[in-house]
Amino acid sequence: MAAGRRPPGAEPWLDWMVLPTVGVLAVVVGYPVVYTLVLSAQHYNFLEPEPARFIGAANYAQLVADRIFWQALGNTAIYTFGSVLAAALLGLVLALLVETYASPRMRLVRALLLTPWAVPFVVTAFLFRYMYLQNGGVVNAVLLHAGIVRAPVAWLNNASLALPSVMVANVWTMTPFFFLLLSAALAGIPNEVIESARVDRARGMSMIVGIKLPFLRSALLVGSLLMVISNFNDFAKIWATTQGGPGYATTTLVVYVYRLAFENFQFGYASAMGVVWLLLLMGFAVAYLRALRLR
Amino acid sequence: MRASRIVQAIALGLALAWSLAPIYWMLATSFKNELEASALDPTLWPHAATLDNYRGLVGGTLPFPTFFVNTVVTCLATAAVAVAIALPAAYALSRARFRSRGAVAYGILVSRMLPLVVLLAPLYLLLLHAHLLDSNLGLVVGFTTFGLPFAVWMLKTFIDAVPIEIEESARVDGYPRWQILLRVVVPLILPGVLTTATFVFMDAWNNLIFPLSFMTTLEKQTLPAALVVSFTGQFKTDWGGMMAAATVTTLPLMVAFFAVQRSMVRGLTAGAVAGV
Repeated sequence: MAAGRRPPGAEPWLDWMVLPTVGVLAVVVGYPVVYTLVLSAQHYNFLEPEPARFIGAANYAQLVADRIFWQALGNTAIYTFGSVLAAALLGLVLALLVETYASPRMRLVRALLLTPWAVPFVVTAFLFRYMYLQNGGVVNAVLLHAGIVRAPVAWLNNASLALPSVMVANVWTMTPFFFLLLSAALAGIPNEVIESARVDRARGMSMIVGIKLPFLRSALLVGSLLMVISNFNDFAKIWATTQGGPGYATTTLVVYVYRLAFENFQFGYASAMGVVWLLLLMGFAVAYLRALRLR
Repeated sequence: MRASRIVQAIALGLALAWSLAPIYWMLATSFKNELEASALDPTLWPHAATLDNYRGLVGGTLPFPTFFVNTVVTCLATAAVAVAIALPAAYALSRARFRSRGAVAYGILVSRMLPLVVLLAPLYLLLLHAHLLDSNLGLVVGFTTFGLPFAVWMLKTFIDAVPIEIEESARVDGYPRWQILLRVVVPLILPGVLTTATFVFMDAWNNLIFPLSFMTTLEKQTLPAALVVSFTGQFKTDWGGMMAAATVTTLPLMVAFFAVQRSMVRGLTAGAVAGV
């Protein structure tokens, strides 16, 4: 709005008002990122008496050969994309469902549907851990009474069930975000569009798929980008339910890096993994934002 | 038409049950005694309702009131610090024209998307050398890494919505920019400032990895970390006590959440479309 008041050449290079933010971020984010790059080329174990020494790309070579790293990468992908996809679909269904009712009466229902969002991640984790208990857990009790399973299931102690079970808890906390986001996007569709589609006899599914979904596209893309990033970083839910186990069945990259850095104090190796991960995440974000612009 | 209405009502009922059942289970369990909470055949509601679990939080071996205070203090401090530092930056990014503006805005956005764990080891060493490990101040520094970039972007969207003409008369009177920001703009976007602060507060409240990594003295822990630590100790089999602690950890976040519920989407997507 104020652009063009001065020719571009006369614009100052920096504004002092951004300096506090830039300064703080340079120290708490910029410096750690650079330091991570430096650490990733060092052998640095916090517990060993000898100082850090430069070892070039050896950490990265170790990483390529590390089976647990690849498993953690796969787990991260399944956990992240699986949960986001499920939560987005559920949120979409909920938003479409609630939209069909008159809104004033639905205010309380809306609020109730949002409550899982207000539960801290750690609490969600312990709550589901309690409900998943093999003996005395409510999930098994319900399934046994309904005759769906014949013996109690070890949800979190079974290598093939643990990851999906944690994902269910994750979807539970994440669905309200998509529900709210998509409800807002639905409310933003111009009335004329809906009316003219109705005149053209669009009903039910054809109304949803043909008319409404295109309007939700950018909300879905932005929302899932944000949730993918936050799931890539999710530590609390996994750590407080399974600590990455059994074995490495639910070990994602965050959990593995945390283990390496704060249980083994292998700061160098953990940093190399951090760098690889950083590149993956940035690559994903850039590709995603490109897709968003191609509307 | 009527059949589809019934299907819709059933679907809505299922959705409500799915959303609320776990929360109900947490509350119900927090009022059960130890025996009932770990019964092999769980009871649907507390048959011998008791407040002992909540009493145990105050008088138990672990100082839960201290954990509560620690969490409230560090999260409030983070919200205040992040908003105070972010305000001038958001104002400048919204109003001022300077050549590095695009780069600064983009840099702040990227720092918001960085994986926290990448920062973990260097941040630990940074705090170690600054003698800030195991201190509330150090924890606030850690929380600021994600609170600050977020606050800048969210405040910017609120300032963008204020018509620039409102500032003109103050500008004509010769007020410096920081006074215009404090006297004219901030009062207009006060709800936005509070919303932003609440978001930062909630994000800090949810954070587990920083207190777990940076705090070594048990008495200095935050609630989420204390839940994890106590689970290996006090609450090993005491699910009633655990759920009471979980309820106490949830309440402040629940209050904060419903205070800003309306601007939730706007807040979380602030800057996501990079409208520089």
